[in-house]
Amino acid sequence: MTESIQSNTQRVGPILAVPLLSAILTATFSRAWIIFASLLAARGGYFPGFFRSHNGHFMNPDTNYQKKKKKNPDIISWLQVTRVMARMASADIMCVESKAVKEKFTGIIRQQDVRATEIDKVDMYLSFRPGDIVRALVLSLGDARAYYLSTAKNELGVVSAQSLTGATMVPISWTEMQCPLTGQVEKRKVATIE
Amino acid sequence: MATAPTSTYSPSNSWERARQQQKKSLFRKEDWVRSDGRNFHQCRPAFLRTGATNAASGSAYAEFGSTKVIVSVFGPRESKKAMMYSDTGRLNCHVSYTTFSAPIRGQGTDNKEYSSMLHKALESAIILETFPKTTVDIFALVLESGGGDLPVIISCASLALADAGIMMYDLVSAVSLSCFGTNLVIDPTTEEEACRDGSFMISYMPSRNEITQFTLTGEWSTAKINEALELCLDACSKLAEIMRSCLKDNVLS
Repeated sequence: MTESIQSNTQRVGPILAVPLLSAILTATFSRAWIIFASLLAARGGYFPGFFRSHNGHFMNPDTNYQKKKKKNPDIISWLQVTRVMARMASADIMCVESKAVKEKFTGIIRQQDVRATEIDKVDMYLSFRPGDIVRALVLSLGDARAYYLSTAKNELGVVSAQSLTGATMVPISWTEMQCPLTGQVEKRKVATIE
Repeated sequence: MATAPTSTYSPSNSWERARQQQKKSLFRKEDWVRSDGRNFHQCRPAFLRTGATNAASGSAYAEFGSTKVIVSVFGPRESKKAMMYSDTGRLNCHVSYTTFSAPIRGQGTDNKEYSSMLHKALESAIILETFPKTTVDIFALVLESGGGDLPVIISCASLALADAGIMMYDLVSAVSLSCFGTNLVIDPTTEEEACRDGSFMISYMPSRNEITQFTLTGEWSTAKINEALELCLDACSKLAEIMRSCLKDNVLS
């Protein structure tokens, strides 16, 4: 896999230690002072840092359109809530950053990660309902079954939800959404998107 | 070939054995011509294409003579719930034969092991640490079995992995070789494989100069092994070049 990268690589002097995270982010690995590409991609041309992967997605070196990321950079993901339980809500992760995943991944939002204040007094049923579209932060890889997600920021939380009558609700505050047809107010942890 | 499933008609055992003996003595001659006109050290021409299936993350189709294989790669996708957490990704390989792939209806020879052999050939080439917790599924389907199936499956699978965007250290190309007495014959067909004395198969990563899998059956002397190794490594490097140019063509199109 010595495609575009090797064509403009010089021998690096001391041993180039590529930590794994940057190896993932830049789709390269190093061996014997030479940087190799670990993916098939064509050089984007205009932007030196960007690669266009062969099926047309622009692959920013800071993200990877295939994989879920963890830790340091804040990864915003879009989910649809599937189950709400007493201490956690289970959701399907549909998009990561701006790329849709081909097959959904499972994530959970724990009670302590729903909001930043009064975290032990959170009622999950007043924060999420099944079917809500939620904007959340990926906290970590989580356990074997699900990724851990958090909505503990102002701009995270329910973005779109349907009321009991089936209409798309309008947010009125950071805890409430209102149905336009019946005027009924329902409680959610609403995202305030500036 | 001496035993056939009871539901199909097959010639009697003694006649089969006599025919095999005849073939074996024919193949041991220095000057026998292979049925497709190749010389002993010539591989079958390869036809490779990526993007064969739309549903999969990546796929490839390979035709080597009459051996036709299609491989689909799905992933990285969520592991089954029952699996334990793992820091590295998992690889799940499955090789299956269509019912019309071999002249005798049914599974054919020992391809139940092919799934695990494919796994072993590929797992050292894939950078598993880049997709923790998830699984990459590789499904290989042999449409027609014309001999040398496993090497074709391995090469096609590494093309499909490249098409899927799974990070790898290098492409894996594989070649097999059969020995008939003193003759070393590369890339055998089914008929040649049936009468051989020994087989030799290598999966190789050319730019790293590393062998990922090495399978040897039968009786071999050290000198023959060395000669076979040189032949196969050279063939693998050339095959990898062909695979690379196939990928480049598909990327630019």
